[in-house]
Amino acid sequence: MSNFLDPFNFEPFWQPYRKDTKRFQEVFPHQAAFPELVRQTETLAYLIRSYTVYSMTCAALGHPGGSFSEADFIAVMYNFILRFNPFDSKWNQRDVFYLSKCHACPALYAALALFGYFPLSDLTRYGAWDSHLESHPDSTTTPGIEISGGSLGQIPGVAVGRALGIRRHGPDEGDRMVYVLLGDGECNEGAVWEAFMAAGHYRLDNLVFIIDYNKVQAKGFVNTDMSIEPLAEKLAAFNLEPWEVNNGHNVAEIIDLFNTLHTQRRGKPTAVILNTVKGKKVSICQYNPNWHTSAPRETGMAQDWLWELWERDGQRLGIPEEFPVRLGKAITVVPPLHDNPDQIIEKQA
Amino acid sequence: MAQFTIPERNASKEMRYQMGYALADLAHEFENIVAVDADLRSSSGLHIFEYFHPDKLIKMGIAEQNMITVSAGLSQEGFIPFPCTFDAFSRRFLDQLYISVAYAQTNVKVLGAYVGLFTGKAGATHQSDKELGVLLRVPNLRVIEPGFNVEMRQALRVAVETAGPFYLRIVRCEVEENEINADYQFQLGKGVTVIDEGNDVGLVSTGYMIRTAKIAADKLLNKGIGVRLDHHPSLKPFDTTLLYDLATKVKAIVTLENHCVSGGLFSLVAEALALKGVQVPVGAIGTDPEDFIHTGHVNDLLAHYKMTSDDVVAQAEAVLRLK
Repeated sequence: MSNFLDPFNFEPFWQPYRKDTKRFQEVFPHQAAFPELVRQTETLAYLIRSYTVYSMTCAALGHPGGSFSEADFIAVMYNFILRFNPFDSKWNQRDVFYLSKCHACPALYAALALFGYFPLSDLTRYGAWDSHLESHPDSTTTPGIEISGGSLGQIPGVAVGRALGIRRHGPDEGDRMVYVLLGDGECNEGAVWEAFMAAGHYRLDNLVFIIDYNKVQAKGFVNTDMSIEPLAEKLAAFNLEPWEVNNGHNVAEIIDLFNTLHTQRRGKPTAVILNTVKGKKVSICQYNPNWHTSAPRETGMAQDWLWELWERDGQRLGIPEEFPVRLGKAITVVPPLHDNPDQIIEKQA
Repeated sequence: MAQFTIPERNASKEMRYQMGYALADLAHEFENIVAVDADLRSSSGLHIFEYFHPDKLIKMGIAEQNMITVSAGLSQEGFIPFPCTFDAFSRRFLDQLYISVAYAQTNVKVLGAYVGLFTGKAGATHQSDKELGVLLRVPNLRVIEPGFNVEMRQALRVAVETAGPFYLRIVRCEVEENEINADYQFQLGKGVTVIDEGNDVGLVSTGYMIRTAKIAADKLLNKGIGVRLDHHPSLKPFDTTLLYDLATKVKAIVTLENHCVSGGLFSLVAEALALKGVQVPVGAIGTDPEDFIHTGHVNDLLAHYKMTSDDVVAQAEAVLRLK
């Protein structure tokens, strides 16, 4: 296993589950392939979290809480559900995946790199000047990003337009789907409900909203800052069909729900309440608003996070101990390109 | 079919209705054009578009922010959406325009209707005379303010044929079919010299105010004051070459805009001249940036804000005295 001297060479222990990511086919729990799909998707989620720690720490920038809460869901989407071609990111028969909670892009960037949209080494320069990886995604520079964003509440409306547009193309695009991952705090934005209203009105059953209900927003708890309950009832009242994933970190449950959703298009948009834990799998970040924003401030802390992720998941998934150690050692905080004659000291988040 | 009265094509010179016809005509030629309405179609003129293309008018209800983001999404599937509401409500969707349209470079063509003072008794909430202050500073956005119906039709076509975000300011009131000449062709980023009869005062107009500028030019010429009138329908990009040419020839300039005198045409002119060190006094015709435009007949508003041709003449004489 000497390959693991290079922590960016993940291929010995993970490759995309599907040989052809342009196709979707259910894998059911009773089928022999299911345990391998689950193990393989959990490995992907582990890698997404690990490379997210890496890129955020290099950048001294990022949103660990939301990146960790969505990691398992993003792993399922790219490994199993979405139809896409990383080598032709504008392939016109692809499913559309929008990340509306744009601040949680480190996890998405890691997933896109793992699937070959761009080199994994690009993650080193997340948020650096001249990098294509913006602090909030820019669709004009990053392959695989469907639209630029960062101001919350806009992308659900974009998704409504996209789904309407796909429907106007007619039956040959009838099977194309639009998925939008929203934040729970994002649902405080009125524009989200304008989009829900329009989606329900136009009966867009090629559109799936997924709410990453990690219960924590930027500076506090959703429950006390601005509650979105009763969420399922609200979604139903807007003519969306609500579904619930009881544990959004159980990839088997997510896979199973999407196996089902595939057959449930009956003239209503779908809304999935994905129950998760903010900061999942790094103890200090879990259910803690203080880690909504803020990358590890020093590499030692990042190395501790990587080690915890390995102890929780990497170890049981057969990832060698060397991987988190060497990935941690590869972290260097990327300095600015320029000196400043005015000696401005900026402590980045 | 539409429940609204559809004016005959040639019965009304109102730019809003001619815009409805022009967009409907373009949609026969460009099949991927759609219009997106936020419940103002018979006011904005989109009801005419709807009459000819009922399946291509997408209704979003009274939800301007969603109208813009939905348009961005439609454009991503190859459609050319024309979202249309009152220009005043651009205040509501500015962030959507800034990010989902301009930053993302989606192919959305926003129609801002009822611009400026010529709106009927719209009042402070519906009058739009401050919006250029921000619209002209949105990266990637092209901002066009046509002054007559030929120019409006040409600008619409340019917007369809040019990829990327556009914002067109459309007046509600009657305008002339053509204020320049039969050979005139609107060009993105270009102004045009309309009158070139002397080098005393330069009038610089945009949008509807070309009308007032032409009347004022006649009055100035009758007084023996030489006038050149440049019209700038393209506010962003702005034709600074034409402006510098004017500024090096005339003794003083007066800008005319259907907007307040800060953040719009006057600011474009003053900023450009200051950067080049061109020392020409510039007077400004337009509304007061510190005012909400209260309800009243347009004649009373124009009198209050000194925006008639007589006021232009007085301003021209005043700035000439500064020289």
